[in-house]
Amino acid sequence: MNRIFIKELKMNSKMLLIWSLAVGGIGFACLLLYSSMEGEIRGMADAFSNMGMFSDAFGMSTLSIATIKGYFATEVGTVHGLGGSMFAALIAVGMLSKEEEHHTGEFLYSLPVSRRSIVLAKAICILAMIVLFSLICTGLYALGFVILGEELPVKEFTSYMAFQLVMNIEIAGICFALSSVFSKTMTGASLGLALIFYLYDLLGRVIPDLKKYLFIGPFSYANASDIFSGADLSVKALCFGGCITVICLVFAFIHYDRRDLAA
Amino acid sequence: MNYVIEIDNLTKSYGKNRGVVDVSLKVKEGDIFGFLGPNGAGKSTTIRSMMGFLRFNKGSIKILGMDSVRDREKILSEVGYMPSESWFYDSMKVSEVISYAADIRGKDCSKEAEKLCERLKVNTEKKIRELSYGNRKKVSIVCAMQHRPKLFIFDEPTGGLDPLMQRSFFELIGEYVDNGATCLLSTHVLTEVNKYCKSAAIMRDGRLTMLDSPSIDDDEFLKFYEDEVEA
Repeated sequence: MNRIFIKELKMNSKMLLIWSLAVGGIGFACLLLYSSMEGEIRGMADAFSNMGMFSDAFGMSTLSIATIKGYFATEVGTVHGLGGSMFAALIAVGMLSKEEEHHTGEFLYSLPVSRRSIVLAKAICILAMIVLFSLICTGLYALGFVILGEELPVKEFTSYMAFQLVMNIEIAGICFALSSVFSKTMTGASLGLALIFYLYDLLGRVIPDLKKYLFIGPFSYANASDIFSGADLSVKALCFGGCITVICLVFAFIHYDRRDLAA
Repeated sequence: MNYVIEIDNLTKSYGKNRGVVDVSLKVKEGDIFGFLGPNGAGKSTTIRSMMGFLRFNKGSIKILGMDSVRDREKILSEVGYMPSESWFYDSMKVSEVISYAADIRGKDCSKEAEKLCERLKVNTEKKIRELSYGNRKKVSIVCAMQHRPKLFIFDEPTGGLDPLMQRSFFELIGEYVDNGATCLLSTHVLTEVNKYCKSAAIMRDGRLTMLDSPSIDDDEFLKFYEDEVEA
């Protein structure tokens, strides 16, 4: 199992590096822009916070983007939330299905290792990649704060990155379950799913009828503006997300163990 | 008598489509068993059921005395399998693929792998993506043989191999069989069966017919294919 885990990690390392440097790098660049835009943002902050539903959706009604916390939550929070979820979806959705899509399954599954061990090795690889992605991005954002000379809001920042990590694990779990079903990698569907979750969260914050169902979406407990404005953690959303993740993983294990493998 | 493969009433369907129907087969220890049949007859379905890739609807498969479902991993540690299409991870080097297979088996196969690579003229420094179809087949042969399995299962192994390599391949099979291994050889090439196999069976429309002798003539052999086309 170790050998499969190492091989997967090695084969996906380029993708991990590209995505983490791209997402973390964009977030880092956004942060650096803060000092040059600080004056202009201050002038716009009031306007942004009074734009009704738009302000609610992006959290600008609770946080001022003129502050580094508000700026990070609205700008970097959007980049990291979207980029991280897309990365998690992308790596998970192909992890099992690629063996059949690229016809390597007959080689792998002819080796004396159980399908469950293969699924476990691949699931651990996804987890490791998401953790590494989070660590690289965290390092880049923290570096941004240091270069700006701004004090890092350690508690909120750590909470945000931790909840984003949990959210990415949930999205990866859902896509991993999809990967166990299909023999073709559903790249488009996985990216679409991440975007739908993001959109659902945006809409849920502006449409009153949707608000009570906001907890269904994984973005609900990892929302940057909620965390940086000190709002109470939605335990219901977190528990729901945890259940979905466990159900999806169990499904992937059971289904993949039982299904016929395509040639 | 020791049977290495014992298949009883194997039935596998793909939804409404026929796979194989009531296939029963026994292969003796030390045999080189020719497994013939037209495309779509059910040869690969039978082999893939033996390997545990497919869950069959009815029947039982015993390999080396073990149940193919319950003891799958134990069986695979004693089996060398070569699929009809040899695909590996493109970004890996040949040497990495060979050692990856050996590592998962938990065996040091380096000496045997080196011998096989030399005999089959495999360039281990090349990346898989740089290999031709025939050279990928050779890597597949090394992966199937390097752990000196008790049973070889080859699904159309010689396609893409040049005549010299085909000869080397059958020489290797002969050497392993002389040392106690058994071989199931699925092929379309009648001359291979006539020349190398000790017993044979032919599949048609998902059903298996044992042949009295592996030495059948072309006309009798082609009759199976013609009937398939007409059907």
